[in-house]
Amino acid sequence: MTARATRSIAVTHGAAVPTPTGTAAPTRSLAGTSETAGARRIAAAFAGAAADGRAALIPYVVAGYPDHEASLAAALAAADAGADLLEIGLPYSDPMADGATLQKATSAAIKAGATLDGSVALIREVAAARPNIPLVPMCYANQIIGGGDGRAVATRLAEAGASGVIVADLTPDEGAAFEVVAREVGLAVVYLIAPTSTPARRVDVARRSGGFLYCVSLVGVTGARTSLPPSVAGLVAAARADSPVPVAVGFGVSKPAHVRMLVEAGADGVIVASALIDALGPDGRNLAALSSLVGELRAATKR
Amino acid sequence: MTATADTNATQPARAGVVAEIAERRRADIERELGKRNYEALADAAADRSATPGNGPRPIVERLAAPGLHLIAEVKRRSPSAGAIAADADPVALARAYEAGGASAISVLCEPHWFGGSVEDLRAVRAAVSIPILAKEFVVDERQLPVLRSAGADLVLLLASVLPAKKLARFAELARDLGLEPLVEVHDERELEAALATNARLIGLNNRNLKTLKVDPDHCLKLRPVVPSDRLVVGESGVSEPRTLVGWRAVGLDAALIGEALMRSADPAAAARAFVSAGSVPHDVAAEARQPLVKICGVTDSEGVLAALRAGADAIGLNLVPGTPRALTLDEASYLATKIRTSSPVGKRPRIVAVFADAPASAVEAAIAAFDPDVVQLSGDEPVSAIAATRRPVWKVLHLPAAEEASKTDEPALAARAIEEGKAYLASGAAHLILDTAGGPFPGGTGRQIARRVAAAVAREMPIILAGGLGASNVGEVMLAVPAVGVDVASGVEIRPAAATVSDAAATARAVSAVGSRPRKDPFRVALFAKRARAARFDRPHIKSRPTAVSESLLDPDEAGRWGLDRDFGGRYVPETLIAALDQLEAAWTETRHDPPFWAELRELQFHYGGRPTPIYRADRLGAEMLEAARKLVGERAAAGGTTVPSADLLPDRIHLYLKREDLNHTGAHKLNNALGQVLLTRRLGKSRVIAETGAGMHGVATATACALLDIPCVVHMGIEDIKRQAPNVLRMEALGAEVRPVYGGSGTLKDAVSEALRDWVTNVETSHYCLGSTMGPHPYPMIVRDFQRVIGDEAAAQLLETEGRLPDMAIACVGGGSNALGLLHRFIGEPNVRLAVAEAAGEGLATGHHAAALLGGTPGILHGSRSYMLQDADGQVLEAVSISAGLDYPGIGPQLAALMQAGRLTVSSATDVEAVAAMRQVARTEGILAAVESAHAVAALPDVLARTAVPVDAARKRVAAAPSAVPGSAETAGPLPREAVIVLGLSGRGDKDLAALGSAQSRAALATAPSPASAEHKEFAR
Repeated sequence: MTARATRSIAVTHGAAVPTPTGTAAPTRSLAGTSETAGARRIAAAFAGAAADGRAALIPYVVAGYPDHEASLAAALAAADAGADLLEIGLPYSDPMADGATLQKATSAAIKAGATLDGSVALIREVAAARPNIPLVPMCYANQIIGGGDGRAVATRLAEAGASGVIVADLTPDEGAAFEVVAREVGLAVVYLIAPTSTPARRVDVARRSGGFLYCVSLVGVTGARTSLPPSVAGLVAAARADSPVPVAVGFGVSKPAHVRMLVEAGADGVIVASALIDALGPDGRNLAALSSLVGELRAATKR
Repeated sequence: MTATADTNATQPARAGVVAEIAERRRADIERELGKRNYEALADAAADRSATPGNGPRPIVERLAAPGLHLIAEVKRRSPSAGAIAADADPVALARAYEAGGASAISVLCEPHWFGGSVEDLRAVRAAVSIPILAKEFVVDERQLPVLRSAGADLVLLLASVLPAKKLARFAELARDLGLEPLVEVHDERELEAALATNARLIGLNNRNLKTLKVDPDHCLKLRPVVPSDRLVVGESGVSEPRTLVGWRAVGLDAALIGEALMRSADPAAAARAFVSAGSVPHDVAAEARQPLVKICGVTDSEGVLAALRAGADAIGLNLVPGTPRALTLDEASYLATKIRTSSPVGKRPRIVAVFADAPASAVEAAIAAFDPDVVQLSGDEPVSAIAATRRPVWKVLHLPAAEEASKTDEPALAARAIEEGKAYLASGAAHLILDTAGGPFPGGTGRQIARRVAAAVAREMPIILAGGLGASNVGEVMLAVPAVGVDVASGVEIRPAAATVSDAAATARAVSAVGSRPRKDPFRVALFAKRARAARFDRPHIKSRPTAVSESLLDPDEAGRWGLDRDFGGRYVPETLIAALDQLEAAWTETRHDPPFWAELRELQFHYGGRPTPIYRADRLGAEMLEAARKLVGERAAAGGTTVPSADLLPDRIHLYLKREDLNHTGAHKLNNALGQVLLTRRLGKSRVIAETGAGMHGVATATACALLDIPCVVHMGIEDIKRQAPNVLRMEALGAEVRPVYGGSGTLKDAVSEALRDWVTNVETSHYCLGSTMGPHPYPMIVRDFQRVIGDEAAAQLLETEGRLPDMAIACVGGGSNALGLLHRFIGEPNVRLAVAEAAGEGLATGHHAAALLGGTPGILHGSRSYMLQDADGQVLEAVSISAGLDYPGIGPQLAALMQAGRLTVSSATDVEAVAAMRQVARTEGILAAVESAHAVAALPDVLARTAVPVDAARKRVAAAPSAVPGSAETAGPLPREAVIVLGLSGRGDKDLAALGSAQSRAALATAPSPASAEHKEFAR
C-alpha cells in the first residue's frame, strides 16, 4: 500500500528542471520544448521580424467564429495584413482566462458548430495557404490533456501544421508529462508568465517555455483595454533578461500606441486578440476593419 | 493612563523602572528587617506553616487540571496604567474573584509604585480559601520566609531582576519553605535562567519591563520554547475573555489578570467570564482525538487517588515478581478496591493487571482475587495466550529504543511489529501496547521507541504507546504518532531533587527515600494527563487513530494529487493565480495545525453557527428505507444476473441516524467552510472575499461570515440560478453582499465558478476566493474538506456515545463533494464502515440529462483540477441537469474520484422525481423538511442497502477481481450486520425548495409513487 501511495505521475511541482537551451543534448529530454521542429519555425519567424527591425506581430483568430469559412477568411486576412505568426483559438465552453469579448466569440463559435475536427481542419487550411506563418493554437487544458497525456490531440495539431500550442490553464508545474508528448510530435509548448509571477518563478517558466514566452501584460483576463498598466515595461524588460526564448506580450493590447510602447520596452512580439474580434464587428465578418487594424499594428512594430 | 503616555514618550528613561523599584525595595527591606537573619525568619515561617490553617495551600495540581486557570490580581495602581482603583478593598475583591472561579489570588505587596502591602496579603489570605500569590519584588532572600509567614502560598521571582544563580537559589529556598515560586520572564534569555531553576511555574510576561510595552501574542510565541513539564502562566495584556481561548489552545495553564478585573464594575462576573473562556470546551469531536491515558505501576493509595483525580482511563497494577513496582496479590486487590470505591460514578478507569510470562494459574488467581477489567501481557506470551485469558487482553509488543535502532532498520522493525500485532489482534487482543525492549522488567526503561517506527505501526492498528513518556514529551509524541493511547509509569513518579546523577541512580535513591517502591507524583500525573489530552484537542487534522488505507485517499501529495496513482487533483489555472495559490497553500500549511485558529473557529461555530449539530435516529424513515430495500432485492433477485442479492442478507433493523447539518445557522453545512475561509482571509491580510454560488447556500453562508467578520463580499451567481433561487439573492443582499449575475454559458454554477475565477485573476492581490466545495485547484479540495470534516468527526464521536461503535455505513448526497467528504472523510480509514454517495441523476442517467459526474462522466480537467466530469468528446463541458441547484454541477472533487477509483466508495444516484418523493417521505415520517439535495441520499439509500445484500463469496470474488480495491465499499465489505447502524448526511433544510414540491416533477412523483428501483440504477451501478 505504501508503494502505491508514493507512486506518482511524472510531474514536477513548483521547481522546473534547468533549461536545455544552449547546453548539451543529454539534458534536452528533461524539460522544455525549445528544440522541437515547431519551436524552430517559431524562432525563425521572430528572427525574421527582428532582422527586419520589427517586433513580431501575432494576431489571434477564433476557429469557427462566426463560422468555419469566415474564420478561415479572417485568418488569411490577418496573415496578409502583416502577421508574423498566427494564434488560433480553439473555442472552449469554460474559458476562465478570457474576458467578455473572447467568451462571446468562442461561445458563438460553439453554437455555430465549432468542433475540434473543425479547428484542426482550419489549421490545416491556413497552414497550406500560408506555409511561412507559424500557427500556434491556443486552448484550455481539458481540450488537450483532460482525458490523458494529450498525445491524440497534439498529434493531430502537429500533423495539421501547428508549430506550438498555448494552453491558458497549464503551467510548467503540470506540464512536464505533456512536454514529453509535445517533443515527440514536434510541438512547442508555450508557457505564460504574469505580473504576479515571482522573479524566481519567471526564470523557471521562461526556461521551460518552447518557441517563445507569453508575457501576460496585466493582472486580469483577456480583453481590449484603453491603456496598459505602466508596470508592463519593467515586466517586459525583466522577462527578456530572464528568457532564453523571445518574449511576446499579450492581454489588453489593442492599439498601435500599446504596440509602440511594448516595442520600446523591448518586446520581441505582441499578441492582439480581443481588439481584432471587436474589429470584426457584431457579426464577425468585417474583414476590412480587421485587415486595417492589423496593418496599423504591424506599422507600430517597427523599432 | 497618564503614566502610560509619559512612559511612551520617554521610553529610554524607563529602561530602569524595574531596577529603580528593586533598589527602593532593597532599602525598604534593610530598614524593616535590619540584621535579622534568614534562618530565624525561616524557622518562624516553618512554625507558622505548621499551625492549622496556615500551611501552604497547594496550587500546582490545580493548575495541572485541564484548561487555563485564572490567577486574579488585586492591584491599586501600576507604573504603566497609573491609578486603577486607588480606594479598592482588596478583601472584597478577592472574595469576588474566588466566587467567580479564580484558582488563586495575586496580591501586590509593593507599596510605592503599586500601592500594595504585605498587610493586604495577610487580609486577603484570611478572607478566601484559595492560594495567594505574593506579587512582590523579591530582592533579598529574607523576604521569602516573611511572605510565607504572612500567608503567601506562591511568590513571584523576576528573572529580569535577579541574576541567574540568585534566581535558582531563591527558587530552591522558596520551595523548601512551601512557597511555590513563579518565575517571570519576558524573553528567551530570561527563560533560560528560569529553566535552570526548580520552579514548576514559569510566567511569560507580555509586558517588556524595560519599555512597558505590551504584545498580547508574545506569550504565544514564547510558549513552544518552554518544556511542557512546567506550568506556564501568561501575564499582562488581556482585556477580553476571548484572548484566553487562544492562550488555552496553545498550552498556557493559567493567566494572571489584574487591570481588566479591577476596572470591572462586577469583578465576580468579570472573573467568571475569564474562567469560562479558559475552560476546555465540551467538543465531542475533539474529545474523540484525545488518547486513552493509562497510569501504570501504581504502588499506593495516593497513587490511585492521583490517577483518579487526573481522570486516568486505565490504571495498571503490576504483578510481575521481582520488578520495582510489583505488588502482592493482596496489595493489588486492596488498590483495585480503592479504585472501585473512589472513582467518580460512571467514570471508573479500567483496572489493568500487568503480567509478564506468568503461568496461567497466576492470571487466574488475580482474576479470582480482584477481577481486573483487562489483563496486560508484557512478556513473550504466544498468540495462543490471548484466547486462553478470560479477560480482554492488552498485549505488549517490544521494540528497540530509538538510540539502539539505526534509521535503516526502521521500516523492517515497523513491518515486523505490524505483522506481530496483526496476529495478536486476530487472536482477539483488544489493544496493543508498544513498549521499549531491553529493560529488565516491563516498562520503566525511560527510553523511547523511534517515533517513525511507532507512527508506522500506529497508522495500521490501535496502539497504546509506552516507553520514556512524561509531561515534557507526551504532547509532541501525540502529534507525531497516531496512537490511541499512552502509558506512563516512571515519567510521573517522585524524583529526587538532584539532577546531576544518572537516571538509574536517581531512581534507586528515590526508592530508598520513600520506601521500597517508586511512588506517583500527583502533580506529574495530572500534568501528564493534561498534556496528553491537550495535544490534539485544537488540532483537528493531526492523525489520532489508525487509518489503514493508502495515504493517497486521505490527503493530497505536494502537487495536490489524490488517488492510488496520484492522478486526480493538481493545479490547472492561469499563471496569474499561481502566486495566490502558493500564498494560500503556505498560509494553510501554517494554519492547519495552529491551535488558536481552530479554537477561535470553534468559538464561532459553537456560539454563532450552532455546532455541534445533533444526530437524530429516524426510526420511521429507517423502517421504510429497509422495506424499500427488501422490495428492490426481490426485484433484482427475480431479474437474476451475476450477483443475485438475497433478502435474508439485509439487516433485520437499521438504526438510521440523520446528521442534522440543516440545523446550522443559514440552514446548511456550507457555513462550516465559509466561517473558516473568511477567518482565513483575515489571516491572509486580504480585504475582499469572492464567492460563487449555485443554490445560493454557499453564497448566503459566505455573505453571513463576511458580515460577521466585517469583510466586503462579492458573490457570483448564474442568471438561471438567480431566477430559481430568488429568496437567497435577497438574503445575500440583506447581508450586505453584492450579488453579480453571470450571463455567460448556461448561467448556472459552473459559469459562476468560472466568473469567480476571472474576478480572482483580476483582483488576486486584494481578494480571497472563498470556494464553496471540495474542488478547484490545490489546495482548495483539501482546505474545504478540512473545514467540512467536522461533520463526520462529530458524527463518529456522537455515534460512539449513543451506539458504542462506529456506523456500518455512511451515506451522503454529492455535487462538488463538500457535504459528502465532510461526512465520509472520518470513515475512509475505517475498514468496517461502508461509504456511499448519491449523485443527482436529473431526468435519468440514461437520458444524458443529469449531474452524475462519477456515474455518467469521464476523467477531465474542470475549474483547476483533474477529476471526473461531464464533457463531450472534444472536452467541452456539458451542462449538468438536476432539480437541485446545489448538485447541479458537471464536476466533482478529486478526493471523491480517488475514492471511487480505489473501490472505497459505492456510488448510487437519484433522479429529480425520486429526490422530490424522498423529500416528501422525510417530511411525512420525521417532520423534517430536508433540502432536495439531501433528499437524494435518502432516495438512494434503498439501492445502496440492496447492494450490500449479496453473498460474501460473490463479494470476495469481486475484491479479488479488482486489484486496487480497498475493503469497505458496500459490495466488498459483505452484508450488513442484523442490526445495522447507518448515518446519513442531512446537509441542509428544504425551505428553499418549496417550489420544487409544487413543481411538475413533484406532481409526477405523487402520481407514479415510484420505487427507487429504476432501471438505470442497475444499469449504471458499477
